[in-house]
Amino acid sequence: MRDVAMRGFSTVLVERADLGQGTTGRFHGLLHSGGRYVVSDPESARECASENEILTRIQAGAIESTGGYFVTCPGDDPTFADKFLAGAANTGVWAREVSVAEALRNEPRLNPGISRAIEVRDGTVDGWKLVWGAANSARHYGAQILTYHRVTKIETEAGRVTAVRCTSLRSGEEVLIECDFVLNCAGPWAGQIAAMAGAHPVEVVPGRGIMIAMNHRLVNRVVNRCIYPADGDILVPAHTVSIIGTTDVKVDDPDNLAIEAHEVQQMLDAGEVLIPGFRNSRALHAWAGARPLIKDDRVAVSDTRHMSRGMAVIDHTTRDGLDGMLTIGGGKLTTYRLMAEHIVDAMCDKRGEHRDCRTDAEPVPGSESGRTHLVSDRLHDREHDRFDEQIICECELMSRKMFTDALASQPAGSFDDLRRQLRLGMGPCQGGFCSVRATGIALDAGHLDSERANGLLRLFLKNRWIGLWPILYGDQVRQTALDNWIFQGTLDVEHLPQPTSEVVL
Amino acid sequence: MNSEGLEFAGHALSRASLDSCVKCTICETQCPVAAVTPLFTGPKFVGPQAERFRDGESVDHSLDYCSSCGICTLVCPQGVQIAELNSQARAVMKADHMPLRDRLIGQTVLMGTLMTPVAPLARAVLNNKPLRKVMEVVVGVHADAPMPPPQSQTFESWFAKRATPAGPFPRGAVVFFHGCAGGYFEVETSKKSVEVLERLGFEVLVPKQGCCGLAQQSNGLFKQASASVLKLCDDLRSAGKDLTIISSSGSCTGMLKHEASEIMGVEDERLRDVGTRTRDIMEFLLDLHEAGELPTDFAPVEMTVPYHAPCQLKSQGIGKPALEVLRLIPGLTVVDSNATCCGIAGTYGLKKEKYEVAQAVGKPLFDMVKATSSELALCDTETCRWQIEQSSGVKTEHPIWMIHKAYGLS
Amino acid sequence: MSRVVVIGAGLAGLVAANRLAEVGVQVVLLHKGLGGLQLGQGTIDVFGYAPERVFNPIKAVGSVATTHPYTAIGGKAVLTGLDYLKKLLPELLLGDPESNYQLPTAVGAIRPTCLAQPSMIAGHVTDGAKLVIVGIRGLKDFQPQLIAENLARTPLPDGGRLRARHLWVDVPARDGEIDSSGLTYARAFDDEDFRVRFAKAVVDQLREDEIVGLPAVLGLKDLHAWRDLAGKLAHRVFEIPLPPPSVPGLRLTEALTARALAAGVRIVPGVRTVRYASSGDRVTSVTTAAGLGGRGYAADAFLLATGGFESGALNLDSHQVVRETLFDLPLAGLDQTPLIHGEYWGPEQPLFKVGVAVNPKMQAVDAAGIPVFANLYAAGGIIAGASGWTEKSGDGIALASAIVAAAAISKELA
Repeated sequence: MRDVAMRGFSTVLVERADLGQGTTGRFHGLLHSGGRYVVSDPESARECASENEILTRIQAGAIESTGGYFVTCPGDDPTFADKFLAGAANTGVWAREVSVAEALRNEPRLNPGISRAIEVRDGTVDGWKLVWGAANSARHYGAQILTYHRVTKIETEAGRVTAVRCTSLRSGEEVLIECDFVLNCAGPWAGQIAAMAGAHPVEVVPGRGIMIAMNHRLVNRVVNRCIYPADGDILVPAHTVSIIGTTDVKVDDPDNLAIEAHEVQQMLDAGEVLIPGFRNSRALHAWAGARPLIKDDRVAVSDTRHMSRGMAVIDHTTRDGLDGMLTIGGGKLTTYRLMAEHIVDAMCDKRGEHRDCRTDAEPVPGSESGRTHLVSDRLHDREHDRFDEQIICECELMSRKMFTDALASQPAGSFDDLRRQLRLGMGPCQGGFCSVRATGIALDAGHLDSERANGLLRLFLKNRWIGLWPILYGDQVRQTALDNWIFQGTLDVEHLPQPTSEVVL
Repeated sequence: MNSEGLEFAGHALSRASLDSCVKCTICETQCPVAAVTPLFTGPKFVGPQAERFRDGESVDHSLDYCSSCGICTLVCPQGVQIAELNSQARAVMKADHMPLRDRLIGQTVLMGTLMTPVAPLARAVLNNKPLRKVMEVVVGVHADAPMPPPQSQTFESWFAKRATPAGPFPRGAVVFFHGCAGGYFEVETSKKSVEVLERLGFEVLVPKQGCCGLAQQSNGLFKQASASVLKLCDDLRSAGKDLTIISSSGSCTGMLKHEASEIMGVEDERLRDVGTRTRDIMEFLLDLHEAGELPTDFAPVEMTVPYHAPCQLKSQGIGKPALEVLRLIPGLTVVDSNATCCGIAGTYGLKKEKYEVAQAVGKPLFDMVKATSSELALCDTETCRWQIEQSSGVKTEHPIWMIHKAYGLS
Repeated sequence: MSRVVVIGAGLAGLVAANRLAEVGVQVVLLHKGLGGLQLGQGTIDVFGYAPERVFNPIKAVGSVATTHPYTAIGGKAVLTGLDYLKKLLPELLLGDPESNYQLPTAVGAIRPTCLAQPSMIAGHVTDGAKLVIVGIRGLKDFQPQLIAENLARTPLPDGGRLRARHLWVDVPARDGEIDSSGLTYARAFDDEDFRVRFAKAVVDQLREDEIVGLPAVLGLKDLHAWRDLAGKLAHRVFEIPLPPPSVPGLRLTEALTARALAAGVRIVPGVRTVRYASSGDRVTSVTTAAGLGGRGYAADAFLLATGGFESGALNLDSHQVVRETLFDLPLAGLDQTPLIHGEYWGPEQPLFKVGVAVNPKMQAVDAAGIPVFANLYAAGGIIAGASGWTEKSGDGIALASAIVAAAAISKELA
């Protein structure tokens, strides 16, 4: 959308939930250096390396330049590191072998049994800051964003797209958007969207992967296992947590992503290889995301100039006799901008126009300084403003002003919508101390009544639990017990006046 | 990342312990510094909470208000090493720009050695207000801060020069660890300790011994402190194998028993050997009493005295043995201060910018002492004694003085 | 003289230590950190929901399932315990075993409890009452509008309704501080000058006949501070408990600890008890992790009052195995699988009912009911069979099991 808007088109984004609540917000947090693909997929490696540099420049605020290591763990093939270095040289991915002693000095929790270590330029990225940065840029160029709107039909006439019908999930209002082009970027739901235009079924196979956030940064650089890509071979320091992932299981329904117990055990074992004592660390939260893999033999395979590696574009003109719609799937987050560039180029071609892409040149709002994020930023900020603003979420150092500003920009938002912007409730106590404060402040701000306030609180706690109960052990059980003592024992939250119906948004 | 401050396993252990924090606030409720000033955000905040935001650097300079009293770790029900985390973060913060003052205060042996031969002159300087004011400006030590009182003769000198007691020593030999204060400043306490032990039938050995490094550690000079403590272990081991090591210096005892290992991560067979054999003298007496081996033929002492258990004694996890032993003396009423901290926290309360905070921290204790007795107060560690005496005006001595007196030795 | 080691300084540990010391037993109380008493709301819950709202708690105690700890403990011990606490701490706890108070919470729910602090009981909800909930700007844990609006639209437990409104005052606890804990406010309220200033800021906004609801921060050391404030406001006043730090919980902890020390209990704080030694069917000693060497404590009997999952006394590891972490005692309740389920607002999580099984003497027993060690007893949150926070029964279980355990131990040692 940012690209479309920057090229001067009038555009509307329709999203069924909050921005980035689909696959984008459920990924690993990794800004690839390309290292992961230097042996298995050199084209991808090249693209990642180049896009990494671009994103660090245009979306600095969403990115932390942590750096990364590829390490050969006990039992891993020690010669893979040589293939890695050769592949890196081949693809232009920056890589430098360092001594094991240096790696262990920089990352004291790393497995002391590693035999080789290679430094790369991995970074980590906050998925929500990324999408909101792009969204805010798009708005600046006149785009409109409709979150919590579900598409119900794509109207066509004489083989052309004419409009998109959608329903506001908050108000129930029906909205009709007249348009002449639809870019279907619905990821794992792309098949469902295509069907709404009456296209032939598009086979999207969601590839579910789970990730587990551990309570603190066990490492301060991305740590990858120096092997052919496998499950659970990356540990990513993202903000205040470190994330282990991931798995890859084909599922049917992207709205039903379970976090399986055996996969949790698999990830803990994988973590133990990288970091001895991993299992004794505190697992904080888990989630599942679905990779959008389009398996379609009617994909325009030959049309490679419109393709990014791993990306699939379906041109509905030739396939379905439908003009004005392109469906895109696959790809990886690091190359999102390039994918967007390709699909918008393809759209321009179809329209018979030529408009240049400038998304790589201009920083998004908030990233103009080019300063990347540091994990200590919030600690520094609260040190300086704690006599002016109360700290509401203490775990994640979120101030009251941060909360009320976010509330003002999303007065109808749920606490999870706010959480994605603020990290409210994402720390060790998982909302134990901050939820009630937030509820009170929201009520005080006048955007809602006490019935909705209670409902939002109930919803927030319910949603937190989704990512807690599959990984609950050790320290997090203690936290849950204390949180229960507070919510049930002291506050008796479950005996608040019964809602007439639960708040779901 | 600073290489000076963080290259040790201890930090990895403390940082890992932050996972146990469930944000219960118990540590905050007991922190004596947070209780008196909003400038300090409290142990939960600067410890397990802020540590998640640190990558080597400490950007939250207010953490310097932590006095390292250790009460937070003591009261945490989950086992978070809060005080250790704070100490380590401070060490990192100061590694690049350690003020001159912190280097000086850390060199307690040096200070002691320099001060002793010229004691009368040193004493005059220390008590001379204008000169102290100059010191405050130049070195940063507050003009009113309680400074150690220099003595004319060191303890080791006294021990070497006195007539060796004849014996017999039916209870065997023990090693006496005097600590810098007990060696240079509070020599009388060390003398009385030796005399009590000899009265109980022990042969007391005093090998030449250096500094435990505590003052250096609490000021972030981990490298020097580690070297000091290991050298001390060599000194104490030289007296003989498997002997109990007894000290009247509460804070130094804590250093050997657990702090060097938990705060700095020193892992060494010598430290393990010495640390497991070390006993605080009152702890030692209580153990004897539990085994039925402590003579309780105390002469009555008709007095009411306040007793304060220092932070560094509490954090040894042995409770307050002095209270129980003192209560064996007929006629003596010992009133526990129940106060958290006297405020000095080693060298914290000496510092110019921390002085007011330290005084506020200790005020409930000073008030209690004054209200209980105008004659005498008892406390197991030297810097606390100096602080209590200075701020309450009541003479403050180690509990062993009372035992010494009740045994008729003074 | 007989010696008993009590491990854990929560409600169960402190009560048991007091009871034993009072009959001449030498008690050593070992604890890792400060107990959960200062995290709770400072009242004594006996039975709040069974699962319906309970009005007569002692009656509900008599109607529990056989797997519930109250079965082994017995109602008599509950009555003895309540009576004991009221006599031990007359300025701090009031109430009637046959009638729960129904008190407002800090989100505006109405919560049953048996013994409450005198500073709270004016909040007992009654038909027609007019409440004004006063929030303090510097105290973020107390959100008066949420409380007042919820109370106002809740039908009262025995019918009727009350009226509630809210207001805010801005009186900093300390100069320049805008983000104060409840404890900082409590220390401020100990000071009369502060109370005068506070009263001045509030009094003109109060209406006749209103009962003033304040956060539970009305003094820490001065147990009469709240009364003085009420006098200055010329209105009835009540405190509403907050999430930790709980000032009423701190008051209880300090009072119970002081009584224990006065009774001659040796308290050794700050140490985790890490292992034990036994001979035949008796525990002979336990060892704490004090310093590099650890420290041993021998005794004639041992009371495990270490709490539940919240304290780490019970642990669920990453392989989904539950253990009692000191004696590795056999556990009851593990058969209720799955132990954890995904419905947050659904039924209790079976995990939190797992614990140590006890016989009517509070000896820890195995699946066959045989004591694991003849001289090892258990009390409080470590006992299996109840979810204290759901039922609002944790305090009663802790109190009464401690009474039973102390009695059984002193009888055994006599």
